[in-house]
Amino acid sequence: MAILEVKNLKKSFGELEVLKGIDFSLEKGDVMAVIGSSGNGKTTLLRCINFLETPNEGEIIVNGETLFDASQKENASESDIRKKRLHFGLVFQNFNLFPQYTVLGNVMLAKELLEKERPDYKQNKKQIKAEIEAEARMLLDEVGLSDKLDFYPHQLSGGQQQRVAIARALALKPDILCFDEPTSALDPELTGEVLKVIKSLADSNMTMIVVTHEMSFARDVANKIIFMDEGKILEEGSPEDIFENPKHERVREFIGGIGAI
Amino acid sequence: MFEFSFFAQLDWEQIREVLTSLNIGFVKSLEIFFLTLLGSLPLGLVIAFGSMSNIGIIRWFNKLLVWVIRGTPLMLQLIIIYYGPGIILGNNWWGSGATGRFIAAMIAFILNYACYFSEIYRGGIEGIPKGQYEAGEVLGMTKSQIFFKVVLLQVIKRIIPPIGNEVITLVKDTSLVRVIAVYELMWDGQNYIKSEGIIWPMLFTGVYYLLFSGLLTIFLGWLEKKMDYFKV
Ligand SMILES: Nc1ncnc2c1ncn2[C@@H]1O[C@H](COP(=O)(O)OP(=O)(O)OP(=O)(O)O)[C@@H](O)[C@H]1O
Ligand SMILES: [Mg+2]
Repeated sequence: MAILEVKNLKKSFGELEVLKGIDFSLEKGDVMAVIGSSGNGKTTLLRCINFLETPNEGEIIVNGETLFDASQKENASESDIRKKRLHFGLVFQNFNLFPQYTVLGNVMLAKELLEKERPDYKQNKKQIKAEIEAEARMLLDEVGLSDKLDFYPHQLSGGQQQRVAIARALALKPDILCFDEPTSALDPELTGEVLKVIKSLADSNMTMIVVTHEMSFARDVANKIIFMDEGKILEEGSPEDIFENPKHERVREFIGGIGAI
Repeated sequence: MFEFSFFAQLDWEQIREVLTSLNIGFVKSLEIFFLTLLGSLPLGLVIAFGSMSNIGIIRWFNKLLVWVIRGTPLMLQLIIIYYGPGIILGNNWWGSGATGRFIAAMIAFILNYACYFSEIYRGGIEGIPKGQYEAGEVLGMTKSQIFFKVVLLQVIKRIIPPIGNEVITLVKDTSLVRVIAVYELMWDGQNYIKSEGIIWPMLFTGVYYLLFSGLLTIFLGWLEKKMDYFKV
């Protein structure tokens, strides 16, 4: 069974139709790269999947459970939406770390707030907190930041901040982790460390959707690529299909253009 | 020799009497100062949320209020709030005693400062990047968790300097209440010109204001330092 199915997703901002019917599905462990030129709805697609925007049409299904169906106009409560959200994680282009928390605090905060709702939280507070902290330390170790636990975001480089953001998203154990151009706010010499982390997540079978302009990364790490053009998926396939034998002239030009840079 | 004769001329009895009297006025000034902050800091937040409301009429009412209050002198507001009910409604709510005048003064001050604070709050809240809210949302936080655990401290850090400026202004603005005959520090000082023909008590009130605003400046600086551990 597919871990994620997106069916006929449409989104308009007023008159402007940004997504014109997006369909795709992912299996567990798939890494899907989303490529395409600026303004073609890549960010909007991720925002819809993460419930930051409400699609006008379409369905989002995770592990067979319909999380969103535009034709079902029931008003989901805030806590319902939160539960649905937790299937996904999102890593932003500009990190959006919480400046007043340390690296460790950033990774622990959301999980702590979530665990407070457990009925046994009061009795087992100490133990639950210790577990959350141990988990956070482990994640930060995985992204190579064990020596920065007590640093504040402004004391870190962009690449380090983005790795904290990845650990923060992983702390909630999402089924699918989404990245919106995770390296495009970074100096070129810092992109490598972030891409390495994403690659190691891919190796550990994490299901991911990565919007990126890093073509070599898309080619090496993704097993599936969609090329978005004017709110539609113009072409999809394996990296070989897209990079070696693109069916559309536009895809060929885009890849050639980026490759030339 | 000169110094000796200078001190010999000082009337220590009079100085003690003047300082005792000025102290009483200063306590009144402090009362106005702290009560104004106590009322206007929270009321300002209500007005700030009002002027960001999705409901048009609430938003416009609050914006109108802020415009009128910030666009007119506090002295005029004091006079209107104190004399207005008597003149316009033919009914002096405030009675004739000192308590009524004091309450009227406090209402004017709290309203005035709340409007200034509301604009500072609004700027602080609207200045928090959208990404902070969205990061909280995708991490499954509730709206109130996002406000209290993510946004609030950042807002506080941003608004401490401008709030501090208003607080220092308030120290000196307390002297305005004398237009409706609420007796505070400067009133006491000025009284000595009329009653005893000496001007130094009036000038000496400046020392009180300076010392108090100096202390506040130190406190505000300390508070800003406390927030230095992160950047927004
Ligand atoms: N909240 C919004 N209101 C109105 N228009 C929007 C909004 N968000 C996005 N758009 C518009 O939707 C279109 C697609 O934007 P989107 O950010 O999804 O593109 P993108 O493919 O991510 O581009 P880029 O590569 O530059 O990040 C753009 O024309 C954009 O101006
Ligand atoms: Mg984008």
